[in-house]
Amino acid sequence: MNPRVILTAAIIPLALIIAAVPQERDTHYKLTPDEMLAEVNSRERFISPDMVARMIVDGDPSFRLIDVRPADEFADYSLPDAINLPLADLLSESYRDIIDQDIRINIFYSNGTLSANEAWILTRQMGYRNNYVLEGGLNYWFENILNPSPPPDTSPSEEFARYDFRKAAAEALRGGSLPTPVIESTVPPPQMPEISRSATRRTVAGGC
Amino acid sequence: MGPLVIYEVISENINLLTAFIIGTAFGWVLESSGFSSSRKLAGVFYGYDMVVLKVFFTAAVTGMLGLLFMSLFGWIDLSLVYVNPTFLTSAIAGGVVMGAGFIMGGFCPGTSFSAAAIGKIDAMVFIVGLFIGIGLFGAGYSIWQELYLAADMGHLKISDSLGMSDGLFALLLILAASAIFYFAEMVERKFASHRL
Repeated sequence: MNPRVILTAAIIPLALIIAAVPQERDTHYKLTPDEMLAEVNSRERFISPDMVARMIVDGDPSFRLIDVRPADEFADYSLPDAINLPLADLLSESYRDIIDQDIRINIFYSNGTLSANEAWILTRQMGYRNNYVLEGGLNYWFENILNPSPPPDTSPSEEFARYDFRKAAAEALRGGSLPTPVIESTVPPPQMPEISRSATRRTVAGGC
Repeated sequence: MGPLVIYEVISENINLLTAFIIGTAFGWVLESSGFSSSRKLAGVFYGYDMVVLKVFFTAAVTGMLGLLFMSLFGWIDLSLVYVNPTFLTSAIAGGVVMGAGFIMGGFCPGTSFSAAAIGKIDAMVFIVGLFIGIGLFGAGYSIWQELYLAADMGHLKISDSLGMSDGLFALLLILAASAIFYFAEMVERKFASHRL
């Protein structure tokens, strides 16, 4: 028999199979339960309040604060330049470009860390990257960044450096006169997480 | 599981190395199938040799079926596979320019490199022309920028724009390909005497 006829006879049934299979359009859920558990247990999603304070004071453009509390709480108080994206509306299509991007670091925050963690788990499960959680939430922020208490005299010098930084940052964040906060410490400043770029947006060359 | 580079199963460098190996194999297969002959390639326009049409259509059908089955088995996430954006106007204009160059030069870009690799002087001249064309395009970009970027339809798939599943579109395309191959061979027989 003509090999072309054999090939055609083999390919058309395959095409019939693939045409009959329902297409899975909904490929949102990227992580298996095991992977999700590992991610939840890892603390990589947390960004320390000191780092956030430093970025706010420095005017760092590479991050965005996202307040996941309801709109009325956001109206009462919010961090500088934060945007409000209530947890209940997180999956709304109009917010998709904000939480699914590879341009900057998103930092979710809420009063504690519960809502921010929930927002992070949702976005992670959707397969989005570059979303993080403000460690300790606003409560910790108030107690330790805006109203830092001096460490005991016997503390190591890093503690004092951190206290000085927090005091200066609190001044700057309240909009007072702005003494540039300086950390005189041998401890290297914490590193920002790297922005992970989505490989799907790379271009490819084609042609024959 | 796939795409391998996105799920970081292989590194970016291994990805490029794999592309290099596949590209080399592609060039070798092109050459050994006679695609380094501009007479064979031009045949598709004169009607006496439709092998170019059949080979590239078969490659597309094979790749399409392979990807759809791999997606069905969960081996590759098609939503992460890059789809070239469609710029309709420049696709048509580029197709006309490329087709005209194909008829005049007897090569398409890939086959010209394959032919130059075995020392064909016409292919080397074709490659010089190709780079002159690239240079002119870049130098005059501001003139045709508007045309180049017109009718941006985004990362569009034909199946999506027709509102059908990828699988159904694949079936229709394969049926169409079978009909086109049958027709192409009729044309070949009719124009066999026009061979260059």
